[in-house]
Amino acid sequence: MRESLFIFGVNHRTAPVAVRERLAYPEGEIVAALARLKEAAPTIDEVALISTCNRVEIMGVTTAPDRAQTEATDFLAGDRGVDATAFAPALYTHQARSAVRHLFRVGASLDSMVVGEPQILGQLKNAYAQAATAGTAGLVLHRAFHKAFSVAKRVRKATLIGHGSVSVSSAAVGLAAKIFDTLTDKTVLLIGAGQMAELTARNLKRLGVQSLLITSRTFDNAVALARKLDGTAVPFDNFRPYLKLADVVVGSVAAAAPVIGPEEFEGVIRERRYRPVFMIDLGVPRNFDQRLNALENVYLYDIDDLSTVVRESIGDREREAEKAEGIVDLEVDSFLKWLDGLELVPAIKDIRSSVEQLRELELERHRAWLAGLAPGERERIESMTRGLVNKLLHRILSGLRDGRAGIPDGVHAAEIARRLLSTELAIEGGALIDDDRDEDDDL
Amino acid sequence: MNTAWLIPALACYALSATGFTMERAGMHSRLARWAIPMLAAGAALQTGDLLMRGIRAGNVPVTNFGQSLVFLAWLTALAGLVVIVRMRMPVIGVYVAPIVFVVLALEAATMRQAHLAMPQTLRSVWLPIHVTLALLGYALFVIAAGVSLVYLVYERRLKAKRPLMPTDERTPSLEKLDRINYRLLGWGFLMLSLAIVTGAIWADATWGHFWSWEPAQSWTLVIWFLYAGLLESRLTVGWRGRRAAALTIAVFTVLVGSFVGVSLLATGKHGGNFG
Repeated sequence: MRESLFIFGVNHRTAPVAVRERLAYPEGEIVAALARLKEAAPTIDEVALISTCNRVEIMGVTTAPDRAQTEATDFLAGDRGVDATAFAPALYTHQARSAVRHLFRVGASLDSMVVGEPQILGQLKNAYAQAATAGTAGLVLHRAFHKAFSVAKRVRKATLIGHGSVSVSSAAVGLAAKIFDTLTDKTVLLIGAGQMAELTARNLKRLGVQSLLITSRTFDNAVALARKLDGTAVPFDNFRPYLKLADVVVGSVAAAAPVIGPEEFEGVIRERRYRPVFMIDLGVPRNFDQRLNALENVYLYDIDDLSTVVRESIGDREREAEKAEGIVDLEVDSFLKWLDGLELVPAIKDIRSSVEQLRELELERHRAWLAGLAPGERERIESMTRGLVNKLLHRILSGLRDGRAGIPDGVHAAEIARRLLSTELAIEGGALIDDDRDEDDDL
Repeated sequence: MNTAWLIPALACYALSATGFTMERAGMHSRLARWAIPMLAAGAALQTGDLLMRGIRAGNVPVTNFGQSLVFLAWLTALAGLVVIVRMRMPVIGVYVAPIVFVVLALEAATMRQAHLAMPQTLRSVWLPIHVTLALLGYALFVIAAGVSLVYLVYERRLKAKRPLMPTDERTPSLEKLDRINYRLLGWGFLMLSLAIVTGAIWADATWGHFWSWEPAQSWTLVIWFLYAGLLESRLTVGWRGRRAAALTIAVFTVLVGSFVGVSLLATGKHGGNFG
């Protein structure tokens, strides 16, 4: 009876959001759903449910993978009230090795829509916690999830998979950190109070920006955003005097011609005594004249430049992902070895007790003779027999465990050994009686 | 004339230089992790080497150009370590470690057989003070030039909008590079000024006059004015960033030229003619 892992489900690659949203579970309902699932699918021994906006997956441990999956699929369809044919084509299944690999890849963010994004690990930890709460996670799932977390950590440490910026506003903030050592003493000027500007400002504030000036064609918008972000609103007709204060200028107004040109800004730079300025142009058409980038200590990035940065770091991440795959494969091997060892445990226990039983039987048969010996001699015989049994077991069991004896399937071999040694078999075949006769002859 | 310390010191510097280079190339090896300890070990071993030489010479071992260069390399390694560890600037290791290694290796390979006898006039307490101050000033200028070089390369990449190479993740920000460049220049300038003052006092005590307008002195004065101008431009007009970095390298080039030129032409007391 081999315990084996399986994962099946849908993700952002196989199913459109219209399917995913119908299958997804709200976070608060997962524990109850797991209990229902366990009830409806008796062949599943352990189970967890991973439900995020990009994936809905059921992961379980079973001895009958095919039946378990049918049961779980039927459960999912019934429980969510979705016709199984609606999501069957999007369903993927991984079993045994492939299932472990899939879990580790998900945890290491290799299966994410944006490779390397950090949220998935937290979501996986959540899924695990819920299975633990529901009591549906057993020995194998505990170990599998913990291993998945440590693999994710190792991948993050050994590769650059989480580096670089994968959105325009985070790219802008990443660049600010390359120009400025700290943002706490810097001033940010937003020209235009749109959504992108707000997002960028929020990201900058997270890095410590305290002084925030906001101007907008519609003064009310500037005031509203200033209130939201704890900044200061400046009238649009009168924002130029503030330019010399700004270390970061974010432009996002709708304007046919550039709002800031190089001639004007050259004076600003001199007034600033050449302190660097980072200009983020989110506007289309562009708000800042391109020639500004040529000015000393001015760094101008428009929306396309930022998109290029984003594209490049996605490319970098994909290259790093290849390294990560290698790490995952190694860890899958080590997990499966543990799992095989786990399967050996019952057989090893049986082998041990069979052999020990034989030893005791022999001692019992010679009890009368043993009773006549001096206590020291009796102990000696006791320890001799025990030593013989232990040495014999050690060779057999360690060979089964690490596969050094060239046995490809330790579980199968252990099972054979267990059966050959089992007491019932030996008695049925009359083996014990034969042995007795031999020994008597020797005596 | 090599001491037993020299070869181990060279080996450590070589390992350190390789480690820093590998780290820069994005290779995560054990050698890369040991680059800083190896630089420290090299400097410690070279300290032993210099002590042995100093004991033999009876004073700081700077009687010829090669020796001065080795002494300068040692101070550069020490100052570099301070900047790398205290200011968290491992990025300049890739510049400091190879320079120190090459200088020391060249000198070890061409070391003159007989060590120069130290003339009696030079055996003074002022020698170690004057020389250490002057060469420490130069060592700081060496590192400032390195920091400026990093600044220019990095700044160019930011301007060209190609800023995010994976190996750049640990490069300090432009602001920090600029600030450290400024501090190094300030400290270097202070050391150079003190070297000039102590040299004058010493000359007065030995020869009876403060200044003799020999080439080394005149060039040092030129360099002093150049660095003074560099610092002044930052304080008054606010030249910083790219311009400051470019000027730091330009002035450093003049310094290298004068240091090599004056030493090799060997005129005056600084060249070993002690009348």
